[in-house]
Amino acid sequence: MSPLTLHDYLAVGAILFGLGMVGFLARRNLIIMFLSAEMMLQGVALNLTAFARYRGNLQGQAFVLFLLTVAACEAAIALALILMLFRRNRSLDVSLWQELREDDQPPNLDEEPLPPAPEPEPLPQLTPAGHEPVHAEPSHEEASHV
Amino acid sequence: MDVALFADGGAAGLARYWLALLPAALGFVGVYCLLPQAKGGRPMLGTLLGGAALALTGWLLLRHDGILPERILFYAFSALAIVGGGMVLAQRNPVHAALSFALVVLSTCGLFLLLAAPFLMAATIIVYAGAIVVTFLFVIMLAQQAGLASADQRSREPFLASLAGYILIGALLCVLEKTFDARTIDAALERIDAVARAESVDDARRQFGEIRKLFDDPQKPGSDRTLPVDEMKRLIPQTDQDLLEAEFLLNARDLPKLKAMFRKLHQQGLQARLSIGVLTADEKQPATPFSQGPLDAAGRHALPAQNVAGLGRTLFADYLLPIELAGILLLVASIGAIAIAARRPEGLR
Amino acid sequence: MFEDPRILWFIPGLPLLASVVTAFLGPRLLRDKSHWPCVLAVIASCALAIGVFASVSSGFQGLHTSYTWFQTGDVDIGVSLRVDGLTAVMLVTVTFIGSWIAIYSIGYMHGDPGYPRYFAEISLFVFAMTGLVLADNFVLLYAFWEGVGLCSYLLVGYYFAKPSAAAAARKAFLVTRLGDVGLLIGILLIYTALGPSLDYESVMPRGQHASPGVLCAVCLLLFTGAVGKSAQFPLHVWLPDAMEGPSPVSALIHAATMVTAGVYLVARCTPLFGFSPSAQLVVACIGGFTAFLAALIALTQTDLKRVLAYSTISQLGYMFLALGSGTSHEYLAGIAVAAAIFHLFTHAFFKALLFLAAGSVMHAMGGVIDMRRIGGLRKVMPTTHWTFLCGAGALSGFPIIFSGFWSKDEILAVAFKAGQPGSFANSIYILLFLLGLVTAGLTAFYTFRAYFLTFWGPERVPPEAGHHAHESPPVMLVPLMVLAAGAVFAGILLGPTGIFEHFLEVHWMQAAFPRLLPATEHHGNLPLMVASSLFALGGIGLAWWLYVRRPALAREMAQALPGAYELSKNKFYLDEIFAALVVRPLAGLAHFLRVFDQYIVDSFVDLTAHAPRWLGHLLRPVQNGLVQFYALLMVLGLAGFLLSVLMR
Repeated sequence: MSPLTLHDYLAVGAILFGLGMVGFLARRNLIIMFLSAEMMLQGVALNLTAFARYRGNLQGQAFVLFLLTVAACEAAIALALILMLFRRNRSLDVSLWQELREDDQPPNLDEEPLPPAPEPEPLPQLTPAGHEPVHAEPSHEEASHV
Repeated sequence: MDVALFADGGAAGLARYWLALLPAALGFVGVYCLLPQAKGGRPMLGTLLGGAALALTGWLLLRHDGILPERILFYAFSALAIVGGGMVLAQRNPVHAALSFALVVLSTCGLFLLLAAPFLMAATIIVYAGAIVVTFLFVIMLAQQAGLASADQRSREPFLASLAGYILIGALLCVLEKTFDARTIDAALERIDAVARAESVDDARRQFGEIRKLFDDPQKPGSDRTLPVDEMKRLIPQTDQDLLEAEFLLNARDLPKLKAMFRKLHQQGLQARLSIGVLTADEKQPATPFSQGPLDAAGRHALPAQNVAGLGRTLFADYLLPIELAGILLLVASIGAIAIAARRPEGLR
Repeated sequence: MFEDPRILWFIPGLPLLASVVTAFLGPRLLRDKSHWPCVLAVIASCALAIGVFASVSSGFQGLHTSYTWFQTGDVDIGVSLRVDGLTAVMLVTVTFIGSWIAIYSIGYMHGDPGYPRYFAEISLFVFAMTGLVLADNFVLLYAFWEGVGLCSYLLVGYYFAKPSAAAAARKAFLVTRLGDVGLLIGILLIYTALGPSLDYESVMPRGQHASPGVLCAVCLLLFTGAVGKSAQFPLHVWLPDAMEGPSPVSALIHAATMVTAGVYLVARCTPLFGFSPSAQLVVACIGGFTAFLAALIALTQTDLKRVLAYSTISQLGYMFLALGSGTSHEYLAGIAVAAAIFHLFTHAFFKALLFLAAGSVMHAMGGVIDMRRIGGLRKVMPTTHWTFLCGAGALSGFPIIFSGFWSKDEILAVAFKAGQPGSFANSIYILLFLLGLVTAGLTAFYTFRAYFLTFWGPERVPPEAGHHAHESPPVMLVPLMVLAAGAVFAGILLGPTGIFEHFLEVHWMQAAFPRLLPATEHHGNLPLMVASSLFALGGIGLAWWLYVRRPALAREMAQALPGAYELSKNKFYLDEIFAALVVRPLAGLAHFLRVFDQYIVDSFVDLTAHAPRWLGHLLRPVQNGLVQFYALLMVLGLAGFLLSVLMR
């Protein structure tokens, strides 16, 4: 029957931080990598707020505000950089940027084949306005998706 | 902090906190399964394991502690945040990942509210969920119009990354457990409570003997009581005196007085337990005027309702220069973002 | 005007300045006027030297320290110059001879492509030599000593494109280096045994109180340096080869600068040598033996400059014989040193003269100096002829009128006195005296042999000279005449009158080593003079008989004594003996060490170089350019660190 302690909040912050780190290390989409980095920042923000609460002052919250500022700046710059990179390679895959490897090292290529991509779902077809719909028999497949 | 966190012995010391490490291990395997992989990804198994980890953690936490509205909210928001975090990792579609991140942000904001930080909550929702996530979504939609990219189907070193995350989280949780370890005082309080509830003098005498054992022989090899008596004495200063008095009362066979005394001792012990691992502000040098309010049951200063005003005062009185610098930083960042992202004619660098 | 010791800095300073100016401006700006800085500077420092000499003779003893070079422990090495009687004599000799040689070079080197370089090096040479005689401590002396060696290397190898010149320069440098090592060790020994200071004033008086063994070692080590620099047996081999340089350089090396350094060093250290009779005996033996050996070799040489080179070695041997005869028991040191320095002084004149005259012959003959191919030049080059005759007369010690007679006679007198019964090792000194006497005859013979072969007999001009075999230009002849006058009159003016001796005694010796000076006046020894005159005249007469009167007889004699003739002609096979005993084993050792270095040391070096390379090769895949991989490694490192902390 004890009330919440600082420990509980710190644990949640630690878990968010760790998950964000795993995402940053493992995911290959540049945008998801940055989302993961933001998630790590969320963990830190939670910690700081909890410290503020349990210490009984507002410094922690002030820190979180600064953290928000920095995160916003970081997001702006990161997005600009991501756009630049995307324009060069037409892809968000971070693994395409390997130019800084040693000269004699082979490029790191994906060897495992991907599972076959699912068929793109056909878009519903609408008849142009002002025309009488053709009352042809619609296929069942299309009808199910409308 | 002393570097030797677990001075009471290497792996054996770590094993004391297996209860914290077990859900983390479950989570490690779950995250590994959830990460997108060209072959061998088992999202179902991962979801199951992650759910099990959450459930186990919940059980471990709720085992001792009863149900309080605050707790329920805390667990709900925490679970949402962690589940959202897992989904950011697991989603193959970046749009879904961004939306999961919004979920993480929103549940974190719920936790902010629990922590009496309404302004932060609002600011985070506006800045993160409102601005950053939406901008990210724009970029994603700009960049990935052709459906699922191959990069999203694979992960870079999923096992090693999950392992590294596990080690980090495990280490952090162990440190937290160590810092907030209340097991010795819990055991002592249990026995004190037993004396307080004793039916007869003999029962009380037997229970009292247990307490004496606890205090007289605190470092018996093989015993799981490793927190020293010194800490008990630090937490409940009058223990020695109380024990002497209890001995006297036992000899006098005055059960009601004894029970009353132990009830009081139990209350004191409960209060003392709350102070474990709790940070207290320096009373002589309060950082803000708000650090001197009355304490609540959890030993926290009650932040007054107008703490938004307090935050404003803190920012513009204590942190005036940093605030200005942060403004300049934002300006520079926006200029930089424009300069970087602006389209230039080909060949002009 | 010359009483200010700061004036001393200009004597070496002006040639140095000239050298720097010529080196930097010569090739571009001065070109065929490059001689001006050198000639002006050397003449100016000669004028200063004469001025200093005059003030020294009126009692001035200068010492000027400009700054402390370095200071270690209790040693305080200053860049300081001092002047006393000995230094004044040396300065005048060096700068006077040097001036005329520089003037002569204007004509001799005219049109040479390395004209500016030549004069820059000549100035540097004069700088080093004047610095050497002015230095006030052994360290500074050693520095200038090496500077002299360096300049001789540069000048002997002046025609560096010619392999023989380059080899001769290397030989001169390396052989003198051998002696220099001894000198360096000697200086270090002086520091430990006679120190802890290295300036003359504090070292010299300690000589008489040092233990005889140590003192002897110090003297012999110093003498090793002198042996190398002054071309004494067995390190004399570089000097004949040094002929590869231009003739004025030979004149400079033989007369004024290089070889006199050794004699100067031993003379300067007389306060040390005077108290070590055994060291003196070694000096005298080496000197006497070298004089005799070089004279024997000179008998059969066909190259005119080579004959002169061996005569230099022989005359230097005389000087060391004199220096070695000044034993303390007989209080001969003063007379002996005076005799050696006097001989150095007169020798500088006539040897410079002879070399310049030989250079004049060479100049006219288109570079040919082989006496078998030239002859009867007295009609073609009259001025060269009679100046050479003056020099030859001086060198051979022609009685009374020529300077060489007076100085050589004093040396023989000293050796004879050292050999008087009852004194230390008198029989050896008597032997050396007799050797010197015979050598005087030999000297007269080979000198006039060269003279008769070159200037008498039927006129023979080699084809290299072209059709215009002519007398040299006045700029070369005037120095010859001046030096001829010096060669003739320096002896008769300074020798019998005792002015020279007196000057050295009053202005140097009385201050430097009063305890070694004789109590009584020294007088000439008439029977000795007669004997040496007879030997000299006999040698000249024999040469005349063999090479003018009966030219066929010399060849017959050579054929009659093939062994002796070949031995002398091939310089007693000393070069070959050195090659077999020293050069070849060292070359073998060097070869072995080269192989050792190449295959064993280098393979270790390569191994240490390759080990990191292999290691790097192992680690290279880590550098794969993937950002996430780098981040992962960072986090794994952090995790490892965390685990190590938690598991402790």
